[in-house]
Amino acid sequence: MDQKNYDVILDKLPEADSRPEVLFRQAGDGFLQVEYGAIPRFNLVDSFRVLTVNGAVKAKNIKGLYETVPGIRTNMFHFDPEVLPVKKLIDEIEEEENKLENVEDIVFESRLISLPIAFEDSETKKAVAKYVKEVRPGAPNVIDDYNIEYMAMCNGCSVQEIKDMVCATEWYNSGNGFWPGGGFFWPLDPSNAIVVPKYNPPRTWTPEGTVGIGGPCLYVYPTPTGGGYQLFGRTIPIFQFAQKHPLFKEGPTFFKAGDRLKFHEVTEDEILYIYKHVHEDTDYVYDIKNDMFKVKDWLEFYNSPETQKGVKELLARQEAGTKAAPSV
Amino acid sequence: MLKIINGGIETVVEDWPGRIGYLDNGMSSSGAFDNVALGLANVLVGNQPGEAGIEIAGGYFQAEFEADAVIGITGTDMKPTLNNEPIPLWESIKVNKGDVIKFSHFAEFGFRTYIGVAGGIDVPPVLGSKSTCLFGSYGGYEGRKLQKDDVLKFGKPSKDLDSLKGRKIKEEAIPKYSREWVLRAMPGPNTSPDYLTKEGMDYLFANSHKVTLNSNRSAVRLAEASELSFARPDGGAAGSHPSNVLDHAYAIRGSLNICGNTPILLIADGPTLGGYMNAVHVINADLWKIGQGTPGRDFVKFACCTQEEAVEARKQQREWLSEKSLA
Repeated sequence: MDQKNYDVILDKLPEADSRPEVLFRQAGDGFLQVEYGAIPRFNLVDSFRVLTVNGAVKAKNIKGLYETVPGIRTNMFHFDPEVLPVKKLIDEIEEEENKLENVEDIVFESRLISLPIAFEDSETKKAVAKYVKEVRPGAPNVIDDYNIEYMAMCNGCSVQEIKDMVCATEWYNSGNGFWPGGGFFWPLDPSNAIVVPKYNPPRTWTPEGTVGIGGPCLYVYPTPTGGGYQLFGRTIPIFQFAQKHPLFKEGPTFFKAGDRLKFHEVTEDEILYIYKHVHEDTDYVYDIKNDMFKVKDWLEFYNSPETQKGVKELLARQEAGTKAAPSV
Repeated sequence: MLKIINGGIETVVEDWPGRIGYLDNGMSSSGAFDNVALGLANVLVGNQPGEAGIEIAGGYFQAEFEADAVIGITGTDMKPTLNNEPIPLWESIKVNKGDVIKFSHFAEFGFRTYIGVAGGIDVPPVLGSKSTCLFGSYGGYEGRKLQKDDVLKFGKPSKDLDSLKGRKIKEEAIPKYSREWVLRAMPGPNTSPDYLTKEGMDYLFANSHKVTLNSNRSAVRLAEASELSFARPDGGAAGSHPSNVLDHAYAIRGSLNICGNTPILLIADGPTLGGYMNAVHVINADLWKIGQGTPGRDFVKFACCTQEEAVEARKQQREWLSEKSLA
């Protein structure tokens, strides 16, 4: 078979200033993947660009474009190739991409959502107990019947410091996925960026509203499901299929790409009270602020000597912690 | 109405194309595993080809009609009987209130059987589709597979029942089943030279891959491909294995996910996003064959295909799933 048959890069835009090279990859007869950078890197700036171009392309209401699925450094376009030829789709995306000159100037709509969290609650402890009983007895990431001690160990800090770090940073959603309504949230404050390995193998059950971290990424489990992130607490509902509560009137899911979360600690009783007032009484009022996210401000914060000093200290603790913690 | 006596191994309500437009919310499209068999069953009974029908995987489904109806059975031959008398596939049959329909198990070829019912299956659409998403527990009949004592309602037939019975699918329009399913596929998005070597890509296309028992409505796992060769030593920022990538959206349905050395076809209820590379994509017009691949027995083979061929195949399939296929 000829080598050119495997060449799936349909077009490219060159690297320019803050923009990495943009690759347009064939991904199927109704799918196109746009990738930022030939060398994969983890940088939230790429996600800000993905979401900005995504919004602009969607606003064009292109006939034959079903949907887009943003990732941290990619965007997947799902389209009807009988209506929308892939070349036309690429032209439309490139037009918007070329309009966006400097990523530092991006300002985008970003809701700031305050969520209560009960650390070390009884429901998520049941999930860990079930895992140890049915999936992996003696799992090294389970200490005192839970994951939070292990998380502290990996990050070279105390359990209290883990809780403080979860609540200290805002968490940014690069896009929904994995399970209906779940978002992939990344720490916006790198000096509070917890990093932990994922379960090996994964769990078979996780309760609704569980909050977990895998790698640097935070996930809220919308419904009971499997999963592989380390568990440390539980928040309030983010999904309601019955759509009884006004928040879910338009659809069963809550999170949108570009949202930010901020956690504050409450008791487990308070969490249970809110479950009742979301699912049964449907009168709980969610704390949501409509806000704009200015990339320039964030970069200034990110690059400030104070933040970078914190990052350096954290990395040193994590390096030592990772050496001390058993691998999963 | 149809009252379930035995749900069998896995029987679900599915339509086509399923729930489109919610991938960015983590919701896969679901939909019939074999949309060709469902489409032809619907054509038999005078429905639109994408109307909801009953998908029987493996077999042993049994039910009693609580009203007169016209049905069409397609797919693998599970030796269906009506009141213990054999009934044919690929033609429409009038059934009466009180009749009991019973299926044995999958045949020498194929794995799934479909029942189309004149008027379709009447379950409430969820986000625009009647399809069941088993892994999310929503859609279809209460978000789950059918079980004893469930009662399915039917929609309104397009014509009177007597004029819908006795319709047959032409011999040449009956899909050809096999134990080696040739899936036309387009390379991408992660291929050679950057993710796999040319030899690695050649390996995927040149060999037959066994459908393993570890398969379900979200993923069809193929036998481990130990000879698959990667173009890079590791996944860089994404992980230690070269199949690791920073989480990206999966082109579902149809993407071939490479998890370590295991190729996995992501279909119906599968994950929308994840951290593994995807080497090829089964074209929309050939997805149906995956639904007939019998776990533990059958093989799939990929045939390299272009965008133009894939678009042409979509048009041909639309013609196929129409009254033009009636005898």
